[in-house]
Amino acid sequence: MNYDYDAIVIGGGPAGSTFSRVAAKNGMNVLIIDKRREIGVPVRCGEGLGARELVKEGLEIPRSAYSTEILGAKVVAPNGKEIIWKDEETKGYMLERKFFDKWLCELAVDGGAKVLTYTRAVDIIKDNGKVGGVRVVHGAEEPYEIRAPMVVSAEGMEAHIARKMGFDTVHKPYDVDTCYQYEMKPYEHENLIELYFGNDIAPRGYVWIFPKADKKANVGLGIGGNVLNGTKRGGMKGSDPKTLLDNFIENNSQLKDASRLEDFGGVISVGSPLNEFVKDNFMVIGTAAKQVDPIHGGGIALAMESGMMAGQVVADAYSKKDYSSKNLKPYENEWKEGPGKKVHKRLLLRKVVEKLNDDDLNYIFSQISDQDLNKVMKSNFAPAVAKVVAGRPQLVKVLSALIS
Amino acid sequence: MIKIHHSGCILCAGCASVCPTGALELVGTRIKFYPEKCISCGACVRICPANVIELVKEKKEGEQ
Repeated sequence: MNYDYDAIVIGGGPAGSTFSRVAAKNGMNVLIIDKRREIGVPVRCGEGLGARELVKEGLEIPRSAYSTEILGAKVVAPNGKEIIWKDEETKGYMLERKFFDKWLCELAVDGGAKVLTYTRAVDIIKDNGKVGGVRVVHGAEEPYEIRAPMVVSAEGMEAHIARKMGFDTVHKPYDVDTCYQYEMKPYEHENLIELYFGNDIAPRGYVWIFPKADKKANVGLGIGGNVLNGTKRGGMKGSDPKTLLDNFIENNSQLKDASRLEDFGGVISVGSPLNEFVKDNFMVIGTAAKQVDPIHGGGIALAMESGMMAGQVVADAYSKKDYSSKNLKPYENEWKEGPGKKVHKRLLLRKVVEKLNDDDLNYIFSQISDQDLNKVMKSNFAPAVAKVVAGRPQLVKVLSALIS
Repeated sequence: MIKIHHSGCILCAGCASVCPTGALELVGTRIKFYPEKCISCGACVRICPANVIELVKEKKEGEQ
């Protein structure tokens, strides 16, 4: 069989670009195809990223790829009580995704990978049942075939090709948050990520204000896809994050007179990752594999981590000239043993938090310290649970799920 | 069947990620709709953050 590449990667986001950089540096001939006309556009993201995730990769982020630094976090209870915490864990970057994604993709190119934009995969090519490449369309041209013995889905939320390969990439409304966001100015902030909770403000979700340079901020709201708070076009009940966001802004003394510089929105995976990530000659990485933090909806750091692991494993398979699932499985195992465990704990936390009413939330915020919150975010729930349950034993039933 | 009011679409492709039959897809800078795959379940209508998808009875092509 004559192949055009050793591997084809579908999607030039953080997962696909990171994978390709690693695989190309290990001598593989890698092609990234991306259906968008420009890498990184359109943006559909809150744009926050923990700094340590990049340090872990040994990368130095260029000044153009981020708007400002994040110094910490402020979490606000329904009654307005604030907890502020600042430490190494909460430091990070507010990205400019357009430039960040392009930078990561260029690193892959610098490493030897090739990229084609406005090129979408329409089908998998199989030779006697074995994956042998993808059929693609550039713009509105005629489809053509690109051949490779290994295909990687880094398709993000939609993941059509992974779905065709039998992976359950469809999202149920309960397992997504639907979000609306504006970039706004002016907003006086302290370079903190601000999160506002409350079932009136954002049922099964929260409002975020993420700081950006020059008194700008990404102001957004996400709610569960199963929340039926609004009436959609045609009269159907559905989730309506925009009206809630507009209400929040109207009631915020700073934001109500601020300008909106951009509208964006998105639907975030907040459920379980896929059960399996690999088949013979095929794998799924990043958000396409539903590898997203179910608490804050962040997918960039997990995507890069997944791309690193998968790139190394595929490079090993390349050296053996055998991309069977047996040789790809180490990626799946490594992910499940590492980041997968943390994601699982976060999912547990999400499912507990969504059962709490505003009074419970207010009580919890009155009892726990920034240090407790820090431990919660590191999946050490016991100290916070102990404090809360001591004064409000009726919450044992709900909170015990976190410490069993 | 659905009708997409493209002029208000913010291209988040949330609809495509919840569509159980793959009837919606972000292509370039537009949501492409494959009416033959649509089962009128309304999942896309329910979650669309920009409220630009409408459930309609008759078969219609996506609005320009």
